[in-house]
Amino acid sequence: MKSRTIRIAALVAAASLFIAACGSDDDADTATTEAASGSEPAATEPAGTEPAGTEAPAGTEAPAGTDAAASDTTADSGAAATGDVVAIEADGDFNALLLPKCTGNAVFDQANEGAIEAAGELGAADPQFSAPASCADTTGQIEFVTNAVTQGVDAIMISNNAGDQVQTAVDDADAAGIPVVAWDSPIPSGQGEDLFVAQVDFDETGVVMADMALNILGDDGGQFAILSATPDAANQNAWIAAMEEALTSDPKYASLELVDTVYGNDDADESYNQALALVDSNPDLELIMAPTTVGIAAAAKAMQDEGLCETVKVSGLGLPDEMRDFTTAGCAPEFALWSFVDLGYLTYYAAYGIAKGQIEAAEGTSFEAGRMGEYTIEKDPTRDNGLRIVMGPFSVYNADNL
Amino acid sequence: MRDWLLQRSWNALLGAVLLASVVFNIAQSDGYLSINNFVNLFELSIEKIIVVVAMTFVIVAGEIDLSVASVMGFAACVMASLHERSGLPFWLILLVTLVVSALIGLIQGLIITLLELPSLVVTLAGLIAWRGAARILVEDRSVGQYPDWFNSMGQDDLIGPLPFAILLFVGVLALGAVLLHRTVVGRYLYVIGDKPDVARYSGVRVDRVRTSLFVASSTVAGLAGILFAARLGTARADLAYGFELEIITIVLLGGVSIFGGSGRMSGVALAILIVLNVRNGLGLAGVDGSTQVGVIGVILIASVLVQNALGRVTARRQRQQANAELAAVASTA
Repeated sequence: MKSRTIRIAALVAAASLFIAACGSDDDADTATTEAASGSEPAATEPAGTEPAGTEAPAGTEAPAGTDAAASDTTADSGAAATGDVVAIEADGDFNALLLPKCTGNAVFDQANEGAIEAAGELGAADPQFSAPASCADTTGQIEFVTNAVTQGVDAIMISNNAGDQVQTAVDDADAAGIPVVAWDSPIPSGQGEDLFVAQVDFDETGVVMADMALNILGDDGGQFAILSATPDAANQNAWIAAMEEALTSDPKYASLELVDTVYGNDDADESYNQALALVDSNPDLELIMAPTTVGIAAAAKAMQDEGLCETVKVSGLGLPDEMRDFTTAGCAPEFALWSFVDLGYLTYYAAYGIAKGQIEAAEGTSFEAGRMGEYTIEKDPTRDNGLRIVMGPFSVYNADNL
Repeated sequence: MRDWLLQRSWNALLGAVLLASVVFNIAQSDGYLSINNFVNLFELSIEKIIVVVAMTFVIVAGEIDLSVASVMGFAACVMASLHERSGLPFWLILLVTLVVSALIGLIQGLIITLLELPSLVVTLAGLIAWRGAARILVEDRSVGQYPDWFNSMGQDDLIGPLPFAILLFVGVLALGAVLLHRTVVGRYLYVIGDKPDVARYSGVRVDRVRTSLFVASSTVAGLAGILFAARLGTARADLAYGFELEIITIVLLGGVSIFGGSGRMSGVALAILIVLNVRNGLGLAGVDGSTQVGVIGVILIASVLVQNALGRVTARRQRQQANAELAAVASTA
């Protein structure tokens, strides 16, 4: 009898280890599939970026978006804040929730690293870093926001995965006086959200992709094709539109010819096959541009497997860890992404400043966020009712800096 | 009799686990013992809970319905797309949505009974098909802008601090318990789940009962989908994605045998409270989602092992008793 009890106890213990192991396995799996949705976030509303897109080409030089933003804010803040820049400083402890779309995703872990770095500098405890187990669980974040309100945290930093479904929970946080700072992906309505820390300006994404294409193909240019995520992914569509805009508006890109746009649905297999199909159907193709982390890795793998790296290069938005081998092998000589570490760092600073009352979440407020420097809060042109700061810039990766 | 004994010790065990989780939560978090938190506890999961009650009936009858979460999503999307495209009054839209949900159950039930296919396969197909249909209806959007009374049904307090959700929880559970344990239909379900042939030879219209079971399951799922949309204020094609596993987990944790024929609503009620409390407590303690899922997985595995052990112990005790009686009879003879 006794030995049976012990045996059962041992079984339970073994089972729990097994489950724990499986659990983390699953996360690793979703990490790859969701990597792209890490960038998808802003997805839902960028549809409205088009108007901004039209004025962007003016400043095509490089950071078109930031130029526009800068001129906007100087106009506004000139009257309001007369350039007062508040440096955010250590001011006691701070219990905040860093809520990504889901756990087990490399880019969100990087954001957490950045937030921890900022917390260290401000002498505060590490933020709580928790989220639903799967990004497919789009309403799971509601529970985390609600629990954070019950806990009475000092601030909630959210990369919104739930579209406007998270609204009522965010409203509750707002009613409880808890600042909500969105990062990576905003609350569409902007209600209850104090500030959105945008990773990059969407128009700039198009220019960066055009520049990389020009760098890789050289001044002679050539044919290239786009391998995107899903046909209705709003952020990818906004980025592609911005790139097309840049191509037509700046003569220096005249030698670049976009021959096709296909969709791999952010599925590694499908993207792989679509990349090969592109090569088959376009004999003169020299470059595949993939504005999604899943697509770029799959396309690079396809070119490498088929020994096509000499003729068809791959570029786009990719994760350095996933792309390193392809870049050193010459398959993907250059790609870009923003730093999620910096995004987490900046978000923590902004949330800290707002929660401690050091800065006001209002248009024209300027503040200094540690090593990241100065930012000015502006109206978010992609939403009717929201404030943002744009982090930028892109990091462009190649064999030299990997 | 044996089942009853088993269920009683099972409920005692669940009660102990529940108590442990409550004590842990009180020790762990200040916010736990607030009325607001208890309201949230139910409100955040009410849709799942009412489907759990319906699923209990299905599993007691020896069947399974994997399509419930997809039907929730599909129903919400039917409602959303009718709201968007038809000029019908909203109450009528809700009614149509419920009828559509019932029809889904009827289709699945008829396929299962007429073609004698396992419900596992048919409802697995349903899981895929209805989710796909939901995506076709509203694509990759979220549809909102419902009447205020509808949104407030999911979001506001109804009586004092008590929202509709808690009242519904108590109501559905009580109704479920009465139906399962106090009516003829309830008795039929146990017999069908245990020995379908016996039921058939005793004149129970097994197929009719089974079909109605799936109609009921889908209708309740449709209602849950509507409630979920009301709470969120929007409907999306991925609504309730993956809920079926958690729903079935709770039913099994409640001591309902996956092979049918046994289990009681009281056990399921305790299991619901355990899962809600564990998740709430871990959430308040700042534990992330993967760990929460892991802990609930461990509880389920442990519960199955203990259930198995309990079953053996009871069986052995009965055997010993029978042997002793036999010996007594033999010695007197």
